[in-house]
Amino acid sequence: MTTTTLHEEHPKHNLTGFIIFLCSESVIFLAFFSGYALLKTSALNWLPNGVEGLEWRMPLVNTIVLVSSSGTIALAEHFKGRGKMLLFRGFWLLSMAMGAYFLYGQAVEWSGLKFGFTSGTFGGTFYLLTGFHGLHVATGILLMGLMLIKSFIPGNYSGGEQGVQATSLFWHFVDVIWIILFLLIYVWQ
Amino acid sequence: MTNSSNHSINTSAIAGVSVWVGLVVVISDWMGKQAHHWLPVQASTAAPLVDDLFSFETALGTFVFIGVVSVMVWVMLFNRAEKYDETDAIPIEGNTRLEVIWTAIPFVLVMAIAFWTIRATGELGTLGPMEHIHLRNSAEEAGGYAGDRLPAEQVEVIARQWSWEFRYPGSDVSSTELHLAVDQRVTFRLVSEDVLHGFYIPAFRVKQDVIPGRAIDLNVTPTLEGVYRLRDSQFSGTWFAANQADVVVESAEAHQAWLDNAARSPLQPGLSQAVSEYAIRQARANPGWATVPPAPPPQVNMPGSPDQPHTA
Amino acid sequence: MTIATFPPEPKPEPSWGRYFGFCTDAKVIGIQYIVTAFFFFLIGGLLAMVIRGELITPASDLVDRAVYNGIYTMHGTIMLFLFIFPVLNGLNNLLIPTMIGAPDMAFPRLNAVAFWLVPIFGFLLIASFFVPGGPAYSGWWSYPPVSTQNPVGHLINGQGMWITAVALSGVSSIMGAINFVTTILRMRAPGMTLFRMPVFCWTALAAQSLQLIGLPALTGGAIMLLMDLTFGTSFYRPEGGGDPVLYQHLFWFYSHPAVYVIILPVFGIFSELFPVYSRKPLFGYVYVALASFIIVGLGLIVWVHHFFSSGVAQWMRNLFMVTTMLIAVPTGVKVFAWLGTIWGGKLRLTTPMLFCLGGLFNFVFAGITGIMLATVPVDIHVSNTYFVVGHFHYVIYGAAVMGIFAAIYHWFPKFIGRMPYEGLGKLHCLLTFVGANLNFLPMHPLGLMGMPRRVSSYDPEFTFWNVIASLGAFLLGVSIIPFLLNMVSAWIRGPKATHNPWNAIGLEWLLPSPPPEDNFGEDVPTVISRPYGYGSGEPLVEHQEEIERRLQLQEAAS
Ligand code: HEA
Ligand code: HEA
Ligand code: CUA
Ligand SMILES: [Cu+2]
Repeated sequence: MTTTTLHEEHPKHNLTGFIIFLCSESVIFLAFFSGYALLKTSALNWLPNGVEGLEWRMPLVNTIVLVSSSGTIALAEHFKGRGKMLLFRGFWLLSMAMGAYFLYGQAVEWSGLKFGFTSGTFGGTFYLLTGFHGLHVATGILLMGLMLIKSFIPGNYSGGEQGVQATSLFWHFVDVIWIILFLLIYVWQ
Repeated sequence: MTNSSNHSINTSAIAGVSVWVGLVVVISDWMGKQAHHWLPVQASTAAPLVDDLFSFETALGTFVFIGVVSVMVWVMLFNRAEKYDETDAIPIEGNTRLEVIWTAIPFVLVMAIAFWTIRATGELGTLGPMEHIHLRNSAEEAGGYAGDRLPAEQVEVIARQWSWEFRYPGSDVSSTELHLAVDQRVTFRLVSEDVLHGFYIPAFRVKQDVIPGRAIDLNVTPTLEGVYRLRDSQFSGTWFAANQADVVVESAEAHQAWLDNAARSPLQPGLSQAVSEYAIRQARANPGWATVPPAPPPQVNMPGSPDQPHTA
Repeated sequence: MTIATFPPEPKPEPSWGRYFGFCTDAKVIGIQYIVTAFFFFLIGGLLAMVIRGELITPASDLVDRAVYNGIYTMHGTIMLFLFIFPVLNGLNNLLIPTMIGAPDMAFPRLNAVAFWLVPIFGFLLIASFFVPGGPAYSGWWSYPPVSTQNPVGHLINGQGMWITAVALSGVSSIMGAINFVTTILRMRAPGMTLFRMPVFCWTALAAQSLQLIGLPALTGGAIMLLMDLTFGTSFYRPEGGGDPVLYQHLFWFYSHPAVYVIILPVFGIFSELFPVYSRKPLFGYVYVALASFIIVGLGLIVWVHHFFSSGVAQWMRNLFMVTTMLIAVPTGVKVFAWLGTIWGGKLRLTTPMLFCLGGLFNFVFAGITGIMLATVPVDIHVSNTYFVVGHFHYVIYGAAVMGIFAAIYHWFPKFIGRMPYEGLGKLHCLLTFVGANLNFLPMHPLGLMGMPRRVSSYDPEFTFWNVIASLGAFLLGVSIIPFLLNMVSAWIRGPKATHNPWNAIGLEWLLPSPPPEDNFGEDVPTVISRPYGYGSGEPLVEHQEEIERRLQLQEAAS
């Protein structure tokens, strides 16, 4: 319902639909987060034996990269508004690259971990949360790639491109989720 | 709620309505009393509280229900369109005063029920189901319950797929038939070795899920001698329906005698309908859809008698 | 209204083929939904007949215990995910665009995809009957650890297919919900402000918002359940430190709101039909409309009332009891508004009206037993007994399904273009009302006496009421025959329907029966007054007489 006022101006409804979808999607993460909190608080030996806490420095670097990519994508949108397509594509590509770096960092971290998916609720929730979020990052990168390709179709943006807005919205969403996730998993130990 | 403005009709209408309301009140009160007969015997201190609450709700519910239905019946009898009458009725868009009234009255009613209930459960607190305890932190475990003064008999209840085992640490004996002394408060410690089960004794009006990985304490005081049914109330798989046991409430002396007798008798396989049925099932050429095999019958001192008559 | 429709359809009677293909016309999709739903209703009903057949005697004699558990599980699952939700989405597809004057849904393609997912996961669910080990048997809640025991041991097993099917149904419902909400918010006819919108659209909006908020929680819970079942994680496994009660929270956080997803559109149907058949405006339209959203708000904070006896802290029990009780208030507002609507009206006891009255009767009864269930001490005694089964069949079959029948009889002429037969309809209504009460009333004494639900055998003292319930169930089974007869014969050779056979007020009644593919096309009438203007004589839209004259000419021509 909040979306109505947001989008009176647009002729089509895709963005409205997409925002409604994002609101709904956030509830899945809410479910996982509350599950994580509940299991963690009620567990007596939370960490699987042999594991003492998580290394947080590299994930922090990852976090900074991902969060700043929210800025770059905003810039890209801004330049699109100005009609500066080259700058738009540049920053857009940069955001994609940063997202890719984040995924790479995630993969490196995973491969270095001493516990697995099935080692207790800690392992389960850790891989579930990070994995499910990682899926969203990958989806975001794919969407960006799609938009980048579309941006070469002449006159594609003349009517205002909702796809770009939707994609960057999605990207911001993925970032916000990650921040909560980072606080839950790495900061709260 | 009459759409007539005519004064004389109004007064007679009000008279008629109030007579009817009076009648409905009488009927509701009667239903409230009837409600007690729909429930099993009251065999625990919890039962009267539950039953009185239910009886009150039955009375109130009857009043609401008959109230609504009488309007519907009245309308269907006296507000029918004549044959071939295609015209519309007088357009009444609404009435804010009425809206306020019929928002306020239900609000007050349900809040009244809620208040009564919270008080009732407050009392039930010492009798009925309790906050459960994680086996893990023993800090909670030590804590007793408010108003829990007299020493309670401890009975450990072990739920399995599909049998009930009862252990009496006081005089370390065990059985598959629950024996309790009348008017003697008992604290059950409910544990499950596999899945969720439900510890349900209708005559006691108590029900508590048995959750694997937790020990849940439950206090009851039986008040009436007799044989009652303990039924699994949380679906636990193939033989869920057969996962029942008898509860024998007996005099303190009889109970002590039973415990002594139990102490003397050797361990033997307890009752487990599932085990016997499973054997027959496996004997069949095609056992049918997959099932978890039943746990072997627990080794107990007193199996108990499989099919004695029960009062509830 | 002669605007080019693509694919161009020359003849007035469009081909039957489109009902079997990937068509993006909401009216076609609506009928696809409803017909599919009733196909599964017959299967779910057949399973119910087996359940009642087993329970007509105390012993477990008709079917093996494992089979019984599979059958009641699939009965509940099919009835909810393959009958009631699809049939309601069918009505949404038919009614929302025509009621608000939109040419179609906001996302027609997404709409079609959402529908076609239904037969897919429906097939998956039915197929689970035939995999080794049989279908899921842990009830429609699928509580772990029972649901993760996987006795057959295969990777492909009934429970896994069940979870997948439910997840797919969630995806389909989310697609639908996004579509309905967007359509209602963005595609209303000129002049149709929210407070000129028919109450059915209000309730649909409310119900679909609940879907959007609640379903993802269920999906999340289901994902973790599937992983516990398949990959040996331990989210819900006590051995690995997991917590079975966590699943109960996630499941009911959606599945309680789900019951309001079911009943809210039915409230909408009542609110549409009572004015038509008592020739009076809906009493207190604004309150009825807004009450829907109060129900949404409250409906989201009551879920724990489904596991009071699972061992939740006392303060939690009290809190959730109070919130649950409060729902009686907005619901009462609606009930009393309907009474105010029929009061002093000029009733026409047509088939739809009779179904509405019967549905209201059953609903109030069910609501009262609901309030009883909300009070913790009473619930402790009757929870997981037949009292609960009685409660929700009264509300789901007695109220929701009867309301859906009312809607079908009421809007059949509009979307099929032919009149159903009154005689058969009234017979169907009578059998349904008697059968439902005979079937579901005895479940209450059974529960009070302490008969657990989900049992394949029971103690002899429960026999009497079970026999009556079973006879009622078989009567319900029979009741469906006049319905099917009526629908089939009316569709094939029923008398042609005019554009407004019930002389009702609403945009959909200003369209020909059946409406053209793009409804009003370009010239959508401008709404100038509130709905339900019965007796006031004021028109609903600009140039109303003109539009109606045009329709009458069309009808005279054909
Ligand atoms: C369409 C579906 C539907 C609807 C509308 C409702 C409506 C309600 N339900 Fe029901 N319910 C179910 C479907 C539904 N339910 C299902 C499917 C289950 C079981 C699921 C399972 O276990 O498998 C269930 C189970 C269920 C439980 C759990 C029982 C248990 O498992 O132990 C509870 C407990 O609180 C409950 C309560 C209520 C209440 C308070 C309402 C209220 O909304 C009712 C409000 C209406 C009224 C009160 C009547 C009208 C009001 C007035 C006339 C005003 C005056 C009234 C008073 C002052 C009382 N329901
Ligand atoms: C929309 C929901 C819905 C509907 C409509 C129904 C309809 C019916 N239900 Fe359902 N039921 C549930 C939802 C529903 N149920 C749920 C959610 C559960 C809980 C499951 C669980 O515990 O997990 C349940 C559980 C349940 C139980 C408890 C099982 C148990 O706990 O052991 C029983 C027992 O009597 C029952 C009976 C019936 C009956 C007799 C009908 C009748 O109204 C059905 C009437 C049937 C018809 C009108 C069609 C008849 C068809 C034929 C006669 C054959 C023709 C068929 C072909 C040609 C293919 N249901
Ligand atoms: Cu339409 Cu935003
Ligand atoms: Cu509920």
